[in-house]
Amino acid sequence: MRHAGAAGRINAAWIVFVASLIAFGILVWSLIEPEKKAGAGETLVVFCAPAIKVPAEAVAHEYEKLYKTKIQFQFQPSESLVGSAEISKLGDILLPADDSYNDQARAKNMIAESFPLVRMHAVIVVKKGNPLRIQALKDLSRADVKVALAGDAAAVGKLTRQALEKIGVWEPLEKKAVSKGTVSNVAADVTIGAVDAGIIWNSMLPQYGALEAVEDASVSRAAASVSASILRSSKNPTAALHFARFLAASDKGLMEFKKAGYDVEEGDAWVEHPEIKLFAGAMLKPAIEKTIVDFEEREGARVTRIYDGCGILVSQMRALKGKSLPDAYFACDKSFMTQVADLFLDSNDVSQNQLVILVPKGNPHGITQLKDLGKPGLRVGVGHEKQCALGALTATTFKTSGVFEGVMKNVTVQSATGDMLVNQLLTGSLDAVVAYISNATSSADKLDAIKIDIPCALAVQPIAQSKDSANKRITARLIEAIKSAESRERFEANGFTWKGKQ
Amino acid sequence: MIAIENLCVRAGAFALDGISFEIRSGQHGVLMGKTGCGKTTILEAVCGLRAALSGRVILMNRDVTHLPPAQRGIGYVPQDRALFSTMTVAENIGFALALRKFPPGEIETAVRELASWLGISALLSRKPRGLSGGEAQRVALARALAARPDVLIFDEPLSALDEDTRGEICELLERVREHSKATILHVTHSKSEAARLADVIYSLNEGKIERIQNSKFKIQN
Amino acid sequence: MPISTLKRSDTVFLAGLALFGGLYLFLIIAMLVADASFTTPSHVWQSLQSPEIRYSIKLSLISCSVTALLSVWCATAIGYVMSRFDFRGKQLIEAILDIPIVLPPLVVGLSLLILFQTPPGKFIEHYVPVTYAIPSVILAQFSVACAFAVRTMRGTFDLISPRSEQVAMTLGCSRAQAFWIVALPEARHGILTAATLAWARSLGEFGPILVFSGATRFHTEVLPTTVFLELSTGNIESAVAVSLLMVAAAAIVLTLVRVFGGPDAAAGRAI
Repeated sequence: MRHAGAAGRINAAWIVFVASLIAFGILVWSLIEPEKKAGAGETLVVFCAPAIKVPAEAVAHEYEKLYKTKIQFQFQPSESLVGSAEISKLGDILLPADDSYNDQARAKNMIAESFPLVRMHAVIVVKKGNPLRIQALKDLSRADVKVALAGDAAAVGKLTRQALEKIGVWEPLEKKAVSKGTVSNVAADVTIGAVDAGIIWNSMLPQYGALEAVEDASVSRAAASVSASILRSSKNPTAALHFARFLAASDKGLMEFKKAGYDVEEGDAWVEHPEIKLFAGAMLKPAIEKTIVDFEEREGARVTRIYDGCGILVSQMRALKGKSLPDAYFACDKSFMTQVADLFLDSNDVSQNQLVILVPKGNPHGITQLKDLGKPGLRVGVGHEKQCALGALTATTFKTSGVFEGVMKNVTVQSATGDMLVNQLLTGSLDAVVAYISNATSSADKLDAIKIDIPCALAVQPIAQSKDSANKRITARLIEAIKSAESRERFEANGFTWKGKQ
Repeated sequence: MIAIENLCVRAGAFALDGISFEIRSGQHGVLMGKTGCGKTTILEAVCGLRAALSGRVILMNRDVTHLPPAQRGIGYVPQDRALFSTMTVAENIGFALALRKFPPGEIETAVRELASWLGISALLSRKPRGLSGGEAQRVALARALAARPDVLIFDEPLSALDEDTRGEICELLERVREHSKATILHVTHSKSEAARLADVIYSLNEGKIERIQNSKFKIQN
Repeated sequence: MPISTLKRSDTVFLAGLALFGGLYLFLIIAMLVADASFTTPSHVWQSLQSPEIRYSIKLSLISCSVTALLSVWCATAIGYVMSRFDFRGKQLIEAILDIPIVLPPLVVGLSLLILFQTPPGKFIEHYVPVTYAIPSVILAQFSVACAFAVRTMRGTFDLISPRSEQVAMTLGCSRAQAFWIVALPEARHGILTAATLAWARSLGEFGPILVFSGATRFHTEVLPTTVFLELSTGNIESAVAVSLLMVAAAAIVLTLVRVFGGPDAAAGRAI
């Protein structure tokens, strides 16, 4: 008879407990091992909607083959994608199934750059073979046709509703249709046969082999695009931008989307380190230089800046052809942009710069108005009429005020840029110059400025993107950077007045 | 000996105050009272299973009021016997000895002895499930006696038994008392039990202790 | 009442029981049969071949086991304390322990996500990555599964009379010894039931994992997540195939429990 008794009992219970501890340890260890192996190298986290899983993973696969960075996807239903990215702050890229979620994120100031990838529009779907012979939107109101629609929480639902409300056919359709939470539920219902027809994105069709599309002009009005956006919470924006550019590259990422049956947007061709060229009026340098340097660092790109008088730049552009043309031109004044308008897309006004008379501090010659520049013995400096906007505007101003001949007598220097004029004023070789207010900013303590209250003494600086640039997307992003709030601060600190979007 | 001085205990909303009684060494003391008047609560306080709010518990001239049950040297047989259902009868009986790390051989001997003495040798390898009332009572007794405690506490040991078994167990209790020389505190509501076994009888009535008789008395009146 | 009428009323009664009981049984079987007919054995086989799904199976099995162990340890401690001790605020704690059962799973996941963005959470993350990593899967499962295990263990210890432990203490046990030697062995059926319950609950856990662990292939993907991902891309056959795999996994575990734990444990008896 065994008499392990109580002592044996203690051991039994403890043995079981210790055994469970060991089991726990083994299980946890078996989970850690694979984790460790995955550790090395950088990882980018993409918050992605499951609907575009297939092409997104294909692109990531290609990318990982070429570069050491690993791409990790966090699949969340589109509806909770933005919320999850917002709370966890662990994402680098946001890739929802349609742009309304990007807009949501933008409204919360969560995203920086955006990369449009594909376009899609709504279609009616039915089971393959179209047994009920549904040809158009009006067929959905037939009594024998059961319909499923995605609710407003899904982008396709909201946009379809808006499109159909506009033509007044929404109400009757809504009454007879069953509302589903997500667009995948709608597709699933049609596949299983719970309903006869539904409205989903045309881009989803490749995944649903059992469905076919019925195009309808009114329904196709509901359109959206899929864009990838860089999250501001990203700890590695340059790496994220590198992958996002790959994703949006016409010969890389967009190819996979095309293969998956999507309607792709235009994209730049893939370049490891993009190089773009910017022509800009000389007076803009202090305002945009830092913005461009930051942009270069963030994008891993190189921006070749050519600062000069606009007149010179314009003649250069007329002489150059094709690839040598700049990707963007930031002019000192609209009058010069007009001269090359055929080479560029529509321009946006960014800032304006006031012409002023600059004199040494204390205004030793007592100049109060334009006429005073004609005082005998004064040495005046102005911009060269042909070489730069400054010169052209100055000439126009003089002519409008009727002081042209009087002042030109005293003009000893005609410069291509306002900075040179200011330098000569500071060294004492000139008594007064007509330049931009921004030219005076860096030497404000040594100069006085006299206002010129004439409407044409105001330069407005527009920026435009070249029509034939091979780097449209990144150039557009550079322009966005120049129009950003941080950039605005730099302009205003340099004496410019902001004209961009508030 | 067992002595309670001005004991004050509480069980939920129910409270007892100023309880005092004494049972001299070697005596068989009985505590009587109606069901639900607090007898079990007092037992729990004596065993150390319920903290006393005030007062003292003295066992064998030691003040054990603040000692845990394990250090009071008590053999407790509760009303529902509470045998260890996952252990055999033998393991139940030898429990106290195994805890004190007695060598297995000694434990086996002691258990066999006790079992034969109490007439349950045949049950040693069985589990408590399925034992009759009388058998279970014997096992519970054996378990309480194994470590030769100086104090024995019985809570209604005969209440769940039929008449014949009651007689057997009563005899057994008398032999236990002679054999072990322990001081016994025995709680019951049965006058005949008290009459047969007690050296001293206390009665708990409306929260007050009353001593009934000093020596054995017959049921005549 | 004459015998024949009695017999008839008994028959009617039993027929009624069979009807209501059978209704539910029939529903379960019907769902399984419908699932099975929607997919084909080759789909199921294909799913088993896919490396992502293999990883998902492995992670599910291991994480559920870890969660079950953790849940049992914690639930046993909590169940014992709540059953044997009385203290101020006990009712409040009981209410708190019930919260994970009542909360929608998504809220549990969201709360965990937010928790690990707070300073103490970030401190932990510095040493052990949690959010969107494997520990989060176990944490998400544990948060819900343990609540069920606690209910089971509380019930188990409530049914075990404290008298045995009290007697053990008079015989020389400390509180700890009374727990290990007397209470635990008596609670072993309850423990097995709690473990099984926690395991099964973890297997099906989806909401919190989706929000807190994400759905990353070869990383934090568990079987319910696989079903979700397959469904989201229109692979309904594949989703059903994986669902049937889950049913099979659960069936195997329950069978093992019955074999090793005895009929009482499998039947969910507490003691």
